[in-house]
Amino acid sequence: MNSAVMRKTMYYFVLPALLFYCLFWIIPILKLFQYSVTDYNGYVQKFNYVGFDNFKNLFQSEILGLSIKNTLIYTFITVVLGNIIALALAFLLNANIRAKGFYRSAFYIPTLFSAIVVGFIWSYVYMPDEGLIASFLNKIGITGFDTNFLGSYSKALYSIIAVDIWKNIGTSTIIFLAGLQTVPHDLIEAGKIDGAGRWKLVRFIKIPMLATSITINVTLSVINGLKAFDYPFIMTNGGPGTSTNTLIFAMYKMAFTDQQFGKASALGIISFALIIAITAIFVFTLNRREVSA
Amino acid sequence: MKTWKSKIAGVTLASLFAVALSACGNSNSNSNSDASASPSAASPAASAANADPVTLTMLVSGAKAAEGADFELDTLPKLVKEKFPNVTLEVQKLPDEQYYTSVKAKLAAGEGPDIFLVFPKLANMGAIEVAKAGYAADLSGLSFWDKVSKAAASDMSYEGKPYAVAKGMDILGTYYNKDLFAKAGVTELPKDWPSFLAAADKLKAAGITPIVMGDKDPWVVQFGMYQLAANTVYPTDPEFDNKLQTGETALTDAKWVETVNQYKELYDKGYVVKGSLGMASAQASQQFIDGKAAMIFTGTWDLPGLAAKGAVDFERGFFSLPGNKSGEPLYASASTAAGYALNANSKHLDLGKQIFEYLYDGQSPLFQAWVDSNPSISVYNGVELKNEIFKDVLSEIQSTGNAFYFSNQMWPAGVSDVMQSKFAEIIGGKKTTAEDVTKAMQDKYKELNKG
Repeated sequence: MNSAVMRKTMYYFVLPALLFYCLFWIIPILKLFQYSVTDYNGYVQKFNYVGFDNFKNLFQSEILGLSIKNTLIYTFITVVLGNIIALALAFLLNANIRAKGFYRSAFYIPTLFSAIVVGFIWSYVYMPDEGLIASFLNKIGITGFDTNFLGSYSKALYSIIAVDIWKNIGTSTIIFLAGLQTVPHDLIEAGKIDGAGRWKLVRFIKIPMLATSITINVTLSVINGLKAFDYPFIMTNGGPGTSTNTLIFAMYKMAFTDQQFGKASALGIISFALIIAITAIFVFTLNRREVSA
Repeated sequence: MKTWKSKIAGVTLASLFAVALSACGNSNSNSNSDASASPSAASPAASAANADPVTLTMLVSGAKAAEGADFELDTLPKLVKEKFPNVTLEVQKLPDEQYYTSVKAKLAAGEGPDIFLVFPKLANMGAIEVAKAGYAADLSGLSFWDKVSKAAASDMSYEGKPYAVAKGMDILGTYYNKDLFAKAGVTELPKDWPSFLAAADKLKAAGITPIVMGDKDPWVVQFGMYQLAANTVYPTDPEFDNKLQTGETALTDAKWVETVNQYKELYDKGYVVKGSLGMASAQASQQFIDGKAAMIFTGTWDLPGLAAKGAVDFERGFFSLPGNKSGEPLYASASTAAGYALNANSKHLDLGKQIFEYLYDGQSPLFQAWVDSNPSISVYNGVELKNEIFKDVLSEIQSTGNAFYFSNQMWPAGVSDVMQSKFAEIIGGKKTTAEDVTKAMQDKYKELNKG
């Protein structure tokens, strides 16, 4: 009855949370905008305002284009390849095979390790000449293949992407698997009666029914790809040279090694804009598709 | 019904609100009392150093000793406790990169450690920078400065006042495997660039990898490069870096191009292990101690790791990478090592100074422990050289004075990174030239140097 009063009191309850949210989230973000026009080095509290020099500087440097390119490649491959493999795995693990539970856990296990552990293990797997892959290739008699995965300009980025996919495949698979369980049996039976073969069942019944899972997985891997930092940091240090610099890694390097917090903030703002743009496109297109599905 | 429900809800919410408010109030008053208590506790803490228990924090960089007690993590806190029973020293040791990040963030937030590690001159976390920013305390009042070498003190000084006590002197050099040298028929240590190349060639011809470098850790590029710069850049122009600051010269100077070309030559001719970009520095050290490569470039600080027992036993040696032309004198690359500094804003600054006096008094058990554990070459008067392996290079430096510092000590942090990442392109077989490397270095220098 007295709902008007109720509603007003309710607002007060938001205050503490709002306060913390502003203090630890909004204000630092606004600070970022402030720092992006200074030569702050993250360390000495005296700094000067330098206008848009940082941005100008960034647009002239090759690191911006390079790290955007790397981030987009990283994102694109993890999204496409990661999801296709996960989908295929989900179909396999949903089939009636022996020791299904074992396989399901086996594929999920990599997800449980921290990125540091995974990165370390894989640096040894990728080690030239003596790593797991190199010695395996040697054993089966393939020689003359360049096994310097992390130290090669053309292979390093793809090598770390492979690790990222390997690690995260479990999560996507589980989500697809859960989606597959919810596909109603009567639909499949109806399809069978109508004479649909195995491929048609997948193409016209199962995949459309997985639309929500696909949206979730694609969105998660887009986010994961755009904020890629762990593996370049652990496995290649952005190298060789700058060939595995992602946006976030370049930002970290700029802020903490070059001590250019100002410039790093400017890069932060550029990537912020970029990520918002990409996410917006995704959300719009995926939403539209889901409605129609 | 509805009113009854909403009343209950209202009461519940109101009481919750009250609880929340009082909780806030409590925490507020707590933190207030904390805040008011700490300054009053802080001021007498120093004078009453023998009474109230005090905790000092210390943050340093490096790796924990592989075996036995670590000086900073184990020995130092223990011996400080023995001398100052009320003082607990909490020490944290981080890998270099994390150290830079963490100590700067803490200092900037006003929560810096009481004791921390500072590097000489303009290097990352260099003495000049931390002193300028007001984070390091002026140590000129301490009594032991007459026992520390002038050069070491001045490398840690800003405007004539010392801000840190260097651990010693570090020399960049080439560790080599005497057995492999003998096997390849290299009987005499190379004394200039042509003879070095000849020696590497002999090793290669004998089927031995001449040099192993862990280029996946990009910073190792510096270890060879600065030794070459000490011969190629500075001897003809000792003031090079000062001129660099004023803009009189640039890193694109022919001397630097030549330096980079010299280092490039080692890769072009295949003297450095293939696939070095995929190998981390620890893996490279392992290759060296396993006797799989004849040489590795690094500094005196790496002796414990490189003297460790590997797959085969062999005798190690150490020499300065000769970048000099034949007939010209050989210069070593030697610099003041990092050292401890006190936080200028520490609540326990006086206590910190007392600990420093004790640590560097030249006779205390703590001083002895420090000397015994220190891999750097001591700059403290009257301390003997412990490691025979460095004797030749050191006595050469002492008798001729032919040595220059590590170039990055006069560069803003970031220039050496560009050098590394550009040079990695050369290692990776890209078409990058030495001119490209020096140009990138100069561009970064200009961007970061604010005079």
